[in-house]
Amino acid sequence: MNGHAQLFPTHTMKIILPDATIQEVPGDPASLLVILDRLGINPAEVIVSRNGKLVPEDAVARGDDEIRIIRIAHGG
Amino acid sequence: MKPGEDAPAGAERCSLCGELPVIRMSGPDRHLCAAHLIADLEERAARTIRERELVRPHDRIAVAFSGGKDSTALLIILSRLLPAWDDVSLVAITVDEGIAGYRDDTIRAAEAVTKKLDIDHVCVSFTDLVGDDLDTLLVGRETQACSVCGILRRKALSQAAHNAGATKIATGHNLDDEAQSVLMNTLRGDLPRLVRTSDADSHDCFIPRIKPLADIAEKEIAAYLFVQDLFPFLPECPYTRHALRAEVRSMLSSLEQKHPGTMRNLIRSKRTIEKQVDRSAISEPLRCCLQCGDPCSGEFCQVCMLRKSLGK
Repeated sequence: MNGHAQLFPTHTMKIILPDATIQEVPGDPASLLVILDRLGINPAEVIVSRNGKLVPEDAVARGDDEIRIIRIAHGG
Repeated sequence: MKPGEDAPAGAERCSLCGELPVIRMSGPDRHLCAAHLIADLEERAARTIRERELVRPHDRIAVAFSGGKDSTALLIILSRLLPAWDDVSLVAITVDEGIAGYRDDTIRAAEAVTKKLDIDHVCVSFTDLVGDDLDTLLVGRETQACSVCGILRRKALSQAAHNAGATKIATGHNLDDEAQSVLMNTLRGDLPRLVRTSDADSHDCFIPRIKPLADIAEKEIAAYLFVQDLFPFLPECPYTRHALRAEVRSMLSSLEQKHPGTMRNLIRSKRTIEKQVDRSAISEPLRCCLQCGDPCSGEFCQVCMLRKSLGK
């Protein structure tokens, strides 16, 4: 990877939040724990899928991954 | 891991095989793949049932089945354990409280699951019980939603379980629910409720209640369903925000994240207190409701007192 690509990443990561709104962020590698922390979401209250497959919160997302955050508490 | 499938940098492997993990679990700390997560949860539920003798031969188990994730997992796990038990049967009971924009979806989900599992399904409603749905009953008293709903739901469930010939009522309460209840009862200073047990050894007047998922975390249950494409994507109960439980849930999950084991420690404390306390010294003796004859601790049961306050 050259310096230009690092400065201007071409990948965009898509994050689908529990309320179904979508955030697009640069695709730099990041732990899901870091991503959840940035979003102010407690990892104990959600499960997370990466490209449709469930992953632990210490997994890493990168590139054009699609991350879906699912809130687990429904009540009743 | 399948050939050609790259593990992303930083990813662990399943602690029991080479597959990619779907969950990180604590106590003990481990990563599990989908297959081992399913096996782990079903074995832990089976162990809870075995060690606490929650199911006996010839039991008819009424499963309190809302169609949400906990009761869906409970019904699936019990249906998978069923062949190993001697002459035990299941019936799923769904209580329709009458909550617009919420319960209709969960009832549809419940019907689909019971049909798929080929389990008897009974649906009862608050309208059948008291003549009105919950939304109507709560006009002007929304902050009491969970206590009103809880009282009526317990009554509707035990009545339906009785009518279905049930010998046990199984509920989907998980580890998080149990820890939240310990903290809520402590915050309310409600020692009788803190040490009250609803396990299979509870009083003869009631159909014994069992909680096979009481040792399994809510997140583990959600993951168990998700990896089998069974996670019910349903709306949140609109009354949840009024409940003390919502605040306690948020507080406890933050503590659990920072200090893994917090919830288990709370439950362990409760069990220690339970063993030490003389329940008869702190609880009212059971009597029969002067109105309906149901067992209760005062002159009237909670349902009859609620009916009176609602003018029903």
